[in-house]
Amino acid sequence: MKKGFFLLFCFILTSFSFLLADESIIAIKNARILTVTQGMMDRGTLIIRGDQIHKVGEDLEIPQRARVIDASGCVVTPGLIDSHSHLGLGPSGGITEDNEMSDPCMPQLRIIDSIHPHGMPPHEGSFRDAVREGVTTVIARPGSGNVIGGQSAALKLTGDTVDEMILVFPVDMKMAMGRKNYYASKGKLPVTKMGTAYIVRKAMTEALNYRDRLQRKKKNNPDFTPERNLKYEALLKVLNREIPVHIHASPGNDIMTAVRLAEEFDFYKLSLAHAVESYRVADILAQKGVIVVVGPQMVTFDEEGKLINIADYLVKHGVEVNIMTDADVVQQEFLRFQASVAVKYGMNPSEALKAITINPARLIGMEERIGSLEKGKDADLVIFDGDPFDIQSEVRKVFINGKTVYKYTPSPENEGIQ
Amino acid sequence: MKNKIFSWWGCFLILLWFIPFLHSAESSDVLVVRGGKILTISHGTIENAEILIEDGKIKKVGPRIQIPENSELIQAPKGWILPGLVVPHTILGTGNRYGSSDANETSNPNTAQLQIIDAVNPFDKDIHHVLTGGVTTAMVTPGRKNVIGGQSAVLKLKGSTVDQMCLRCPGGVKFSLGKGPKSTYGKKGRLPSTRMGSAYVIRKAFHEAEAYLKKIQKKSKGQLSPPRNLKLETLAKVRNKELTAFIECYRVDDIMTALRIIDEFDLKAVLVGCTEGYKVVHEIAERKVPVIVGPLGVGPRRMETRNVRVNNAAALAGAGVKIAIKPDESLGVGRIRELPLIASFLVKGGLDRSQAFRAITLSAAEIMSVDDRVGSIEPGKDADLVIFDGDPLYYKSHVQRVMINGETVYLKNEQ
Repeated sequence: MKKGFFLLFCFILTSFSFLLADESIIAIKNARILTVTQGMMDRGTLIIRGDQIHKVGEDLEIPQRARVIDASGCVVTPGLIDSHSHLGLGPSGGITEDNEMSDPCMPQLRIIDSIHPHGMPPHEGSFRDAVREGVTTVIARPGSGNVIGGQSAALKLTGDTVDEMILVFPVDMKMAMGRKNYYASKGKLPVTKMGTAYIVRKAMTEALNYRDRLQRKKKNNPDFTPERNLKYEALLKVLNREIPVHIHASPGNDIMTAVRLAEEFDFYKLSLAHAVESYRVADILAQKGVIVVVGPQMVTFDEEGKLINIADYLVKHGVEVNIMTDADVVQQEFLRFQASVAVKYGMNPSEALKAITINPARLIGMEERIGSLEKGKDADLVIFDGDPFDIQSEVRKVFINGKTVYKYTPSPENEGIQ
Repeated sequence: MKNKIFSWWGCFLILLWFIPFLHSAESSDVLVVRGGKILTISHGTIENAEILIEDGKIKKVGPRIQIPENSELIQAPKGWILPGLVVPHTILGTGNRYGSSDANETSNPNTAQLQIIDAVNPFDKDIHHVLTGGVTTAMVTPGRKNVIGGQSAVLKLKGSTVDQMCLRCPGGVKFSLGKGPKSTYGKKGRLPSTRMGSAYVIRKAFHEAEAYLKKIQKKSKGQLSPPRNLKLETLAKVRNKELTAFIECYRVDDIMTALRIIDEFDLKAVLVGCTEGYKVVHEIAERKVPVIVGPLGVGPRRMETRNVRVNNAAALAGAGVKIAIKPDESLGVGRIRELPLIASFLVKGGLDRSQAFRAITLSAAEIMSVDDRVGSIEPGKDADLVIFDGDPLYYKSHVQRVMINGETVYLKNEQ
């Protein structure tokens, strides 16, 4: 009896898989394809099979059963990646779920425990809005209210639970330099910038002591099972070079404090957020291999009033750059327009595209899966009807893991207008 | 006494000595700007034409203008020339977002008597940075934390004292509904802790102003004049339509509260923000209340502006509402110095291109009642011009030159 059911099941499965095969092969043809890592094709074809990119090339044979999308006049890019976002964590300036303000040192917190996969008010629908502008992956981060904010997560913007969305967790440890007004107003450590640096140093030292103590006890007694300490365990991931560190630092002195801490505790990889004054120390950052995530402020002015296009300046000085929205400081869906500002003031468009695709992918160690259009990578891609950085261009289609997650319909915004 | 006469003579002599210099200065004050496209805003677009400027005013606009001898010529054969851009609502120059702002006097929810000019720092670097984006005129207003914030000022972005910058001071009175005052005073357990509390603060203030006005009118019949009251004096001017009420409101309920107050006191008013305006376009249109739209769907999304839509401006303009744009102060693509980019977003949201250009120039000037001086390129107006190297709504176009009163205040190559 059981066997009969099994056979029937197999039969149904095979007959359906035949039909499914049709849907799971998609060929996008006649498109200008920006592969990011392997140059640009003027009239290329991209074949998706299942959840992966099967082939990208100029004169590809299109499989017979493929669903064909004619993308003449359109531009195809990898799905956009925002390497610094607070999407789904509460409104800017309102009650937020990304700052646990009960203690300035909270490495044990995990951002995934705060994220509502459809967004909290006023973020309902904000994940969908982000996808509509081509954002397919974000790195959700704890806020900068605390010195050590917690562990960040890389999420794909598809799924009904945060667990389905997780691409990498923990992706890195979030810290924030500078003054912490909330604690300063209470006269509680840290009141100053040096207080902030001390909190990191103190926590790291304690974690190292914890590690030493455990190792010693284990040496004496191999069966020893330690009492768990979530805080130190989290910090040991940093100290054991398992996860990188992402530090919020804007003025030049905060940037260098971050660099000092990274050297003192031998961070696996350091990336800086905002880093408005990073242009003043660009050579140092380049030499030390520090990655800078620029935004939401894209340009600044030096003492003589000269405009500095931060991302462009850093790239020209050999620093690897990502571009971010800091959503919802700038809305998540405007990621590509953050890059437009950099392009407007002289950044090479291909460098700007890298800063919102392959560079963030590399930042989280996912460059084998996302961030460019190459054979074998996740089929996360966006079809634009023109220059992706032009404000007037529209997104036509977005795919995540080979599935269409957004399809353009003329002015969807007009719904509900009386 | 003798001394005084002496000094008068001295002055006269000095003036006499200056006359020849004044004359020569005047003759070199003739300036011609030649451009590929001149967007006059008021009279369409003229291709390959000139603008004749004398004494800082526009004298003539058109193709093949006779150019006077000795006049200075500025050539921009591929340039797009626009009137200086106008921002009708900002806290520019009142302190930056990293420090404390001087735009909110949160000691009382009604501070109509305050003047924003007393908070503006002409040397604030932000002012120059905004100028380099093509903005030549801006209305600086008190912030949104008080229900009645005080008197705003329409300023030209040039000058070393605020008095030199003033184009129209006061430019209006700032009101604010919704979360701004509610959260500021609610936290302290003071009025207004609610939206109805904010509305009451305004209604009470206008009734007091009315009583004050009556007392003044009685005075002419030989009675004692009432003591001067700076707060009520200001509100009385709003009540008499001498000053425009700029009412910041975002949610649809706050917009309707603003309209109710406008109806009740018959105010000359402008709505500021108006995020959910698209829900009540006809209510706004039938009252002919102009709207300064912002945020535009390109800046931060606060709780109050959660329903922001990039087509809000287009929906309002489509119903015949006069619109201008309120950019965000410092971040992202909605930044104040990226005003043309914001206009480009509105075009994406369905706004007509010419309406978008008008929104950042003449409409804004009209809303602030300074359209006799700025906002378009036509004879008699101030020679405030911006020259772009291409279509200003295209994201790669740049500001090449900015002029205020015929004087070049920014030149790109100089950077």
